[in-house]
Amino acid sequence: MAPPAQSQRTQSPSQPSGKGEVSDLKTQLRQLAGSRAPGVDDSKRELFKKVISYMTIGIDVSSVFGEMVMCSVTPDIVLKKMCYLYVGNYAKVNPDLALLTINFLQRDCKDQDPMIRGLALRSLCSLRVANLVEYLVGPLGLGLKDSNSYVRTVAVIGVLKLYHISASTCIDEEFPLTLKHLMLNDPEAQVVANCLTALQEIWSAEASNSEDASREREALISKPVIYYFLNRMRVFSEWAQCIVLELVGKYVPSDNNEIFDIMNLLEDRLQHANGAVVLATIKVFLHLTLSMNDVHQQVYERIKAPLLTLVSSGSPEQSYAVLSHLHLLVMRAPFIFASDYKHFYCQYNEPSYVKKLKLEMLTAVANESNTYEIVTELCEYAANVDIPIARESIRAVGKIALQQYDVNAIVDRLLQFLEMEKDYVTAEALVLVKDLLRKYPQWSHDCIAVVGGISSNNVQEPKAKAALIWMLGEYSQEMHDAPYILESLIENWDDEHSAEVRLHLLTAVMKCFFKRAPETQKALGAALSAGLADFHQDVHDRALFYYRLLQYNASVAESVVNPPKQAVSVFADTQSSEIKDRIFDEFNSLSVVYQKPSYMFTDKEHRGPFEFSDELGNLSIGAEAAENVAPALMVEANDKDLLLSTSEEEEIKGPAYNGSAYSAPLYDASSPSVSSLSTQSELAISNPISAGKCFSIYLCH
Amino acid sequence: MISQFFVMSQRGDNIVFRDYRGDVQKGSAEIFFRKVKFWKEDGQEEAPPVFNADGVNYFHVKVVGLLFVATTRVNLSPSLVLELLQRIARVIKDYLGVLNEDSLRKNFVLVYELLDEVIDFGYVQSTSTEVLKSYVFNEPIVIDATRLQPLGPASIFMQGTKRMPGTAVTKSVVANEPGGRKREEIFVDIIEKISVTFSSSGYILTSEIDGTIQMKSYLTGNPEIRIALNEDLGIGKGGRSIYDYRSSSGSGAVVLDDCNFHESVRLDSFDTDRTLSLIPPDGEFPVMNYRMTQEFKPPFRINTLIEEAGPLKAEVIIKVSAEFSSSITANTIVVEMPLPKYTTRVSFGLEPGAAGQRTDFKEATKRLEWGLKKIVGGSEHTLRAKLTFSQETHGNITKESGPVNMTFTIPMYNASKLQVKYLQIAKKSSTYNPYRWVRYVTQANSYVARI
Repeated sequence: MAPPAQSQRTQSPSQPSGKGEVSDLKTQLRQLAGSRAPGVDDSKRELFKKVISYMTIGIDVSSVFGEMVMCSVTPDIVLKKMCYLYVGNYAKVNPDLALLTINFLQRDCKDQDPMIRGLALRSLCSLRVANLVEYLVGPLGLGLKDSNSYVRTVAVIGVLKLYHISASTCIDEEFPLTLKHLMLNDPEAQVVANCLTALQEIWSAEASNSEDASREREALISKPVIYYFLNRMRVFSEWAQCIVLELVGKYVPSDNNEIFDIMNLLEDRLQHANGAVVLATIKVFLHLTLSMNDVHQQVYERIKAPLLTLVSSGSPEQSYAVLSHLHLLVMRAPFIFASDYKHFYCQYNEPSYVKKLKLEMLTAVANESNTYEIVTELCEYAANVDIPIARESIRAVGKIALQQYDVNAIVDRLLQFLEMEKDYVTAEALVLVKDLLRKYPQWSHDCIAVVGGISSNNVQEPKAKAALIWMLGEYSQEMHDAPYILESLIENWDDEHSAEVRLHLLTAVMKCFFKRAPETQKALGAALSAGLADFHQDVHDRALFYYRLLQYNASVAESVVNPPKQAVSVFADTQSSEIKDRIFDEFNSLSVVYQKPSYMFTDKEHRGPFEFSDELGNLSIGAEAAENVAPALMVEANDKDLLLSTSEEEEIKGPAYNGSAYSAPLYDASSPSVSSLSTQSELAISNPISAGKCFSIYLCH
Repeated sequence: MISQFFVMSQRGDNIVFRDYRGDVQKGSAEIFFRKVKFWKEDGQEEAPPVFNADGVNYFHVKVVGLLFVATTRVNLSPSLVLELLQRIARVIKDYLGVLNEDSLRKNFVLVYELLDEVIDFGYVQSTSTEVLKSYVFNEPIVIDATRLQPLGPASIFMQGTKRMPGTAVTKSVVANEPGGRKREEIFVDIIEKISVTFSSSGYILTSEIDGTIQMKSYLTGNPEIRIALNEDLGIGKGGRSIYDYRSSSGSGAVVLDDCNFHESVRLDSFDTDRTLSLIPPDGEFPVMNYRMTQEFKPPFRINTLIEEAGPLKAEVIIKVSAEFSSSITANTIVVEMPLPKYTTRVSFGLEPGAAGQRTDFKEATKRLEWGLKKIVGGSEHTLRAKLTFSQETHGNITKESGPVNMTFTIPMYNASKLQVKYLQIAKKSSTYNPYRWVRYVTQANSYVARI
C-alpha cells in the first residue's frame, strides 16, 4: 500500500521527517500495550491513526509491527480494523513478523461476532506470505461453511487469494470444488457472484496445464449454469450483474428461440442507470445476433437511445467511456446513425478527447442528405479558438470530401479555408487540397488558381509545405510562376530543417524540369548539388539517384518522375478489418477506448478473467492475431513513404458482418454439465411470455 | 479486477492509497500524476480518463478537485471502473457529508474502512451506503460545511432560496446530529442541464435537456415512496427523427427521448399512471436520468453585434434577455467570448445603474468575460466593449472571434416542464410526517450563440 514516493515526502511541509516520530510512536504503543486503564482504546486509536497516516504518505512504519500486534488484543473493532490494515500492508515484506499475527488472527476467525470472523479471515488471507499457507487452510474451510453470509463472501475471495499465494495448496485442498458447490447452492447473491469470479480466475489460469480445469471452465458457460444465473439476475448487485452478463456473452445458444428468450429477459437491463450494466447487456445482444443480420441491425436501433442517454448523463469521464463504444458502433454501421448526426456536434466545454471522437463520428455518418449541414457545422469549428480541434475539423471536412458526397460544395469551403489567413488553417487546408487532387484531378483548375495565390513564405509547417511543393511540381504547367517559387525555395535549402520538405523539393523540381526545362534548369542544378551535399541520408540518396538517372537517360528519368497518374480511388485504411473485428469482439473493454485489440497492450496473463473465448471457439482468430500486427505496421511504414502518405479511413460500406470470424464454439451436450442442476425447470428461462410472442415483442422495438 | 485505488490531491500527494492485488508497482501514483500533469507538452489537451503506461491501465475521475484513481493490468470494462470510482466518491460523501480534501484527510481511517468493504482483492463487493453501514464502525468527523465554498450540484440550492435549510444536503447519512435526534426528511431534486446552440441569425440549431431526478433520503426505517410525474409524459419517439421540432410542440405534453432508472425503482405502474415506486436506500442517488430534444423555450436570448470603428478599433455589444417569469431569478451568470488574437486592450461600458456585474479581459486567452450575480426574469442587460487591435482587421473580426458562451443557474425553473406531481411516503403512523423537499434547478451545459 505505502507508495515510496520520495518526492511526496518533501512536497508537504506538514509531514514528519520520519525516524524520530516513528520511534516515539513505538514507545507510546509499548506503554499502552498491556494497559487496561479506562480510555486506553481511545489513545490507541489516535496512535494507530498516526501509524496509518504515515503509512499512506510513504513513511516506513514497519518497525512498530510488534507493538501494533501487541496492542491489537482488544475487543474494539475499529482498532482491530486498523491493525488488520497495517498488518496486510507490511506482512509481505516482513514474513517473520507476519508469523506473530497468525495467532491472533486465527483466534479472531473463531470469534462470536461474524463481523470479526470475516475481517480476521480477510486479513489472514491477505498476508501474501507463502510459508504461512498452512495456517490458512483450516480457517478458510470453516469460513466457507460459516452460517453467516458475510463470512462466506469473504472466504470465497479468500480462496482466490490462497490460489495466488499457493496454487497447488488451493487445488489440492479441493477448494474450487467447494466454490462450485456454493456457487450453485448458496442463498446469498454476493457469495454466488464471488464464487463465479473466483472460479473464472482460477480455472482460466489452470486451463493451460490441466484438462479438468479447462473442462470446468467450459462448464461455466454451459446451458444449465447460464440459465441458473439468468434466472437470478435481479437478485445480484449491479456489479455482480456485470460479471454475469460478461459470462452470458460467452454462451452460444442452440437456436434462435433461445436467443430471443435471453434478449427479452435482459431487455430491461438497457434501462439501467449504471453504464457498465448497459454496456455489458449490449455486448450480449450484439454477440448473440451476429449471425442474424436483420435482428443485429434492430439491436443497433434499440441501443441507440440508451447509449445516447448514458453519454449525456453522468460525469464527463463516464460519458467518455460510453462515447468510445458508441464511436465503435458508428464506425461499424454509420448508416444506422446517419439521422442522429446532431448528437455528435461538439459542445463548447467538452474536453478535446471527447471532441475528437465526435468529429470522427460526424465524418463517418456523413451521407447525401446530411453532408451540407455537417460540413457547415465543421466549418464553425475550423474558426474555433481551440486550435487542435480546429485542425481536426478541417481534416474532417477533407475526409468527407474524399467520401464523395457533395464534393462541389466542399471544395469551395476548403478553398475558403485557404483564404482565411490563419496559418494553421491554411496549413491543414493545403494538405487536404493535395489529397483531394489525387482523388479528383478534375478539380485541379479551381484549386490551383487559389493555391497559386498562397505565398510559400506563409506556409511553415513541413506537412503543408510538402503538400504545396508537391502541387507546384505536379501542376507546374498550370501554375505560372512554379519554377520561380521552387527556385527561391531551393535558394533557402540550408534553412529548411525538414528532410521531408527537402525530399519533396527534389522531386518537384525534377517534375517541373521535364515540363518547363529552360526555366527550371538552373534550379535543378542547384537542388541536385545541394541534395548531394545534404547530411540526411535519404535526401542525399535521392539526389544522387536523380543525378545518375539524368546522366543515364533523360527520357527514362522523365518516365520515372512524371509517369501518367491514376486517380487514387480509396486511400489506405489505418486499421485492417480483422483488427476492427477483434476490437468489436472485445466490446465493453479497454480495447474499445484505446482502439486496439488487447494483445497490443496487455500481456497474455492479464487479458482478464473473461478472456477465454480465445482457445474455445475462436482459434482461427487467435492464429490470425499474430499476423494482424504485420499489416498494421506496414500501413505505418507506408505513411512515411513519399506522397503515398495519407492514411485516410476507408469508407466503411456497412457493418462488417464477418460471419467466419465469429465461428462459435459448438455447444457440446455431452460435455460435463453440472449434474446437480440439470433439472428441467432450471433449463428454461422463467419468462411468462412464450417464445413466439417474445420474438414479436422483440421485433417491435 | 482493479489492482490499486488511490485518491490524489491536485498537488499530487496521496490522501488514501489501497493496494488490492500487488501486481502493479508501488510507484504507480507518481507515474500517474506525472502523466496527467504533462499529457501534451503544450498543455493544450488534458489527459483522457483512461490511459495505458507500460502495461498498466490508469483510470481516473475528477471529483471536487481530487483525483480518484484505479489501476489494473487487466483489460477491464472502462465503464465499470469509471462508474465505480464515481460511486466510491459518492459513498464517501454520504458518510462524510462534505467531500473535499480536508474532510478526506480528517477521515482517512474511515475511508480505508469503507474501501476494504467496497472492494476485496480487486473485485467490487458493494457500493451501497445502506449495505456498507453494517460493516463500517468509524464515526465520521464532520467538518463545518458553512465555512466552505459550496461545491457540487447540491450547493446550487443554497443561494437565493430561503426555504432551504442550508446545510441539509451536506449532512452525513450516518453521523448523529448534535441535537441527538435525526431529522426525518427527504430531498428530491430535479436537475436539468441544457445545451442550446443559436445560429448567427438567432435560430436554434440544436437543443437538448439532460435531466436527473436526484434523491437523498434521511428517513428512518426505509418506507416506500411513490413519485408521480406528469401524467401525459411520453417516452421515446418511435421511428421519427429525433430532431423533429414540429412534433408535439404546443400540445404541452412532455416527451422524453429516453430515460433510465436506478436499480431500486419499480416501474410496475409507470406505463399506466407515470408513477415510480421505490424504497430509497440511504445516501444520494439518481432515481432517473432522462434526455429530451423536444423543442423548449430557451431561458435566455443572446444578441451580439460587432461594429468596426476604424482600422484598429471595434465595438462589441452583447445583449442578454431573460425570457422567463419575473418571479424567477437566475444567478451566477457568466458570458464569455473569445476575441481576435490581435486584441490588445478592451474597455467596458455597463448600463447605467448596473449592480453586481463585473467585466474582465483575459489577456492570456484573449477572452472577454462578463459576470452577473443575478438576472431577474423578463429583464435585459447590455454590455459594450471597445476593442483595440495591434494590427488591421481586414474585415475579418467575426471570423476571428466568438462564439459567445453563457453559463448560469436558475433555481426553481425547469426547462423541460417535467414535474414531480406528488411525493408520497408510505405512512408508518398518523403522526409521521417527514419534511419533503422537491426542488428544481436548471443549469447551462453548453449555451452558445454564434456570431
